[in-house]
Amino acid sequence: MAIGHAAAAPAAAVHAEARGLVAWLTTVDHKRIGILYGVSALVFFLVGGLEALLIRLQLAAPDGRVIGAETFNQLFTMHGTTMVFLALMPLSAAFFNYLVPLMIGARDVAFPRLNAFSFWAFFFGGLFINSSFLVGAAPNAGWFGYATLTEKPFSIGPHTDFWLLGLLFLGVSSVVSALNFLTTILNLRAPGLTFLRMPLFVWTTLVTAVLMLLAFPPITVALILLGFDRFFGTAFYLPGGGGSPLLWQHLFWIFGHPEVYILILPAMGVVSEVLPTFARKPLFGYVSVVYATALIAFFGFGVWAHHMFAVGMGPIADAAFGLSTMIIAVPTGIKIFNWLATVWGGSLRFRTPLYFALGFIAMFTIGGLSGVMHASPPIDLQQTDSYFVVAHLHYVLFGGTLLGLFAGIYYWWPKMTGCRLDERLGRLHFWLMLVGMNLTFFPMHFLGLMGMPRRIYTYAPEFGWGFWNLVATVGALGIGVSTLVFLWNAWVSLRRPEPAGADPWDGRTLEWAVPSPPPPYNFATVPTVRRRDALWLTKHPDARGPGLDDLAALVTPRGPIHMPAPSAWPILAALALLVLSAGALLHPAVVVLGGLLTVLGVFAIALEHVPAHAPRAAEHEEVNIGTTGLDHRKMGTWAFLGSECLFFGTLISTYLLYRGRSLSGPMPGDILNIPLTSVSTFDLLMSSFTMVLGVAAIQRGDARGAARWLLCTVIGGLVFLGFQVYEFTTFVHEGLGLTTNLFANTFYVMVGFHGAHVSVGVLWLASLWVLIRQGRLGPRQAVLVDIAGLYWHFVDVVWIAIFTLVYLIQ
Amino acid sequence: MSAPTPAPPAPTPGTAAAHSAAGVGTYAVIAAFLVLLTVMEVAVFYIPALRGVLIPVLLVLAAAKFALVAMFYMHLRFDHAWFSYLFIAPLIIATGLAVALLWVFHVFGTTGLPPGAGG
Repeated sequence: MAIGHAAAAPAAAVHAEARGLVAWLTTVDHKRIGILYGVSALVFFLVGGLEALLIRLQLAAPDGRVIGAETFNQLFTMHGTTMVFLALMPLSAAFFNYLVPLMIGARDVAFPRLNAFSFWAFFFGGLFINSSFLVGAAPNAGWFGYATLTEKPFSIGPHTDFWLLGLLFLGVSSVVSALNFLTTILNLRAPGLTFLRMPLFVWTTLVTAVLMLLAFPPITVALILLGFDRFFGTAFYLPGGGGSPLLWQHLFWIFGHPEVYILILPAMGVVSEVLPTFARKPLFGYVSVVYATALIAFFGFGVWAHHMFAVGMGPIADAAFGLSTMIIAVPTGIKIFNWLATVWGGSLRFRTPLYFALGFIAMFTIGGLSGVMHASPPIDLQQTDSYFVVAHLHYVLFGGTLLGLFAGIYYWWPKMTGCRLDERLGRLHFWLMLVGMNLTFFPMHFLGLMGMPRRIYTYAPEFGWGFWNLVATVGALGIGVSTLVFLWNAWVSLRRPEPAGADPWDGRTLEWAVPSPPPPYNFATVPTVRRRDALWLTKHPDARGPGLDDLAALVTPRGPIHMPAPSAWPILAALALLVLSAGALLHPAVVVLGGLLTVLGVFAIALEHVPAHAPRAAEHEEVNIGTTGLDHRKMGTWAFLGSECLFFGTLISTYLLYRGRSLSGPMPGDILNIPLTSVSTFDLLMSSFTMVLGVAAIQRGDARGAARWLLCTVIGGLVFLGFQVYEFTTFVHEGLGLTTNLFANTFYVMVGFHGAHVSVGVLWLASLWVLIRQGRLGPRQAVLVDIAGLYWHFVDVVWIAIFTLVYLIQ
Repeated sequence: MSAPTPAPPAPTPGTAAAHSAAGVGTYAVIAAFLVLLTVMEVAVFYIPALRGVLIPVLLVLAAAKFALVAMFYMHLRFDHAWFSYLFIAPLIIATGLAVALLWVFHVFGTTGLPPGAGG
């Protein structure tokens, strides 16, 4: 069930809250899920921090003997993987979850149970990757897993398997979460909250969600191809079989550079909220900051190859990517100047969140400047794979993202817990962390320029790197101490709470209008927003009047408020994914079991709240309509299909760039059967026709007709799959197995994934056919058939592309 | 046995029923066009005289089929503009990335592929 603004008029009783552990395991409340994300991310942050400390202790002096080379490889791989995917991203997600519905005046996210599923998928995915330590097989090929280090001949044992399966697992969580927040922000904003009235943090969440939707499919494909190489013997990245390790680098960085913005944009959003509050001024140049955020995301897809200047792409490609990388510094610079102008002339209140926000600006600027240096290919060539790069990325991700997120923790802690954090301890934490990080990471610039490569587990004394490495290790210990100060501060705050009140900072945005912590329903009445900085202007109205209509109504319930019920299915579905992932390392039977359980879990989530009888479901459907008048589920489906464009785009690109590079036959012209495929194409096109007739029938209330057309579509899909099975079988008999050559690798994987999508569509449509036959779907639920139809037509248009690019253009 | 069907409600903007602008007749015409375009694709493939323009012609025909399905069967022509943005913007980015990737791999000498493999 989704959340809609129709809930402003009390419709049903508030669901009884479960208590204790069960309440947390089955919660679908965005605030609780936000806390779960936050606590889990902090635990993983501690794990990643311990890994970093071991790395630093090993490197503190020449000829270090603290750990061995293999352990060192595992630690730096897991440190990067943990900090990026299990600490910083989910810490941002904690803020998205807790704050976005509150900031936009909503009662929850658009898809509360999918939100819970996203969290549990992240949590189990994190446990899965880290469980590799228990079997002595932690990933050891670096956090960007360059081929061919990750290929079977060079990575024996399950190290890399844990990594690639874990990242696929986490990718599911990220994409589902991004769909949810995109839909929530587009469709659940309070009346009057136009785009240019949204808090900056909501903007950065929206842009981050778009980046996640578009950046994760390429890495998903890259990981799938790596999985095929490792599990089934293909050669996507193996030169011996015709493949190219550079394909991995391209696909990884097409994801990896937007990932940098996925990590930094939320922190920028936090800082953009903190600075105006503590400067007691509106954000300077709000509109330009919004446009700069969007431009960063757009340009972020055109700079990936600056990570690859050292591979020899040639002068034109180097120049193009160098130029685009320099250009992306412009919107980033716009933001920095706007933040400075916000602080300039403000009535500053020096509280801990402001310290961290100002620290963010200074440290991120240093990281940004060294980033611009990397935009120059000749300079970058000298710095590649040296400690200079390690310094740069830590100034961005530690000095930038982490300090920004700590600003957010100090800022919103009173809202989330109802308690204050100690100011003196907060400042001690800040100064220790700031000094510690500069001691740790600034010397790495020198080390890099002195020629120290990254990822070496020890070095000889005569290189002269000992002093700066010792300084860096002392700094890392300082960071460790600062983290302990924060943990102590948090512990004291929760054990001896000092009530914070609803609005301890004299805040500007809607979350400060409700009690701390907020009630489960957030707002007793959904607010109507008149201006940007609505709450501030309501408390301090100017000549243009207040920002909100009625402040008191937000906290005074007028009757029962309908909220989604807790559900165990999200955690169970995520557990099924865990079984599926673990199965790949254990036995094919466990994979099948995990797959079946996952399908069961997805169906359970989807069907949990489908009413037993269609006509009774009228009210149920209203909660799925947002303030825009659009259905959440339809908007989410379109966003998903947008993401799928990148997925199939990457698969088709892989096929095209490997076309004609097979080292042996058969070649496409020898084996592709155009007449047969033309018939199956005709069949699939006609299934789209019957599908749209089914949608039209359910919309006009003709359930019998809808069932008939859906059945025709299902049969059409099955016939298409039959053709595909026949085609594959024929090819195998003619000597084209999966591993025969590069053409077979790319063809079977691409066409096979399309077939898998058709299979999912057949299952989906068949289940809708059953529901219609049972009388559970009527015209008011036509959107359920409509979104299945969108998926089906999408599969159809993908086939239109494949038929032309693969079969006809040989 | 399906349940008795209630009277159809008035369409809510942006919901499934809101894009009923295209009727069954339109869908049938689109289906006919799709078949025709597919027949043309296959015909072009088999006509030796068209070898020189095979790729552009096939790409145009495929784009036309793609657009017909997206506009009429997926209702982008009738539905809320946001749905178009959510689909077309990623489509453009995916196409741009694909072109850039192919460009980087094919235009320059160093592709990472072994000698003799066409790199």
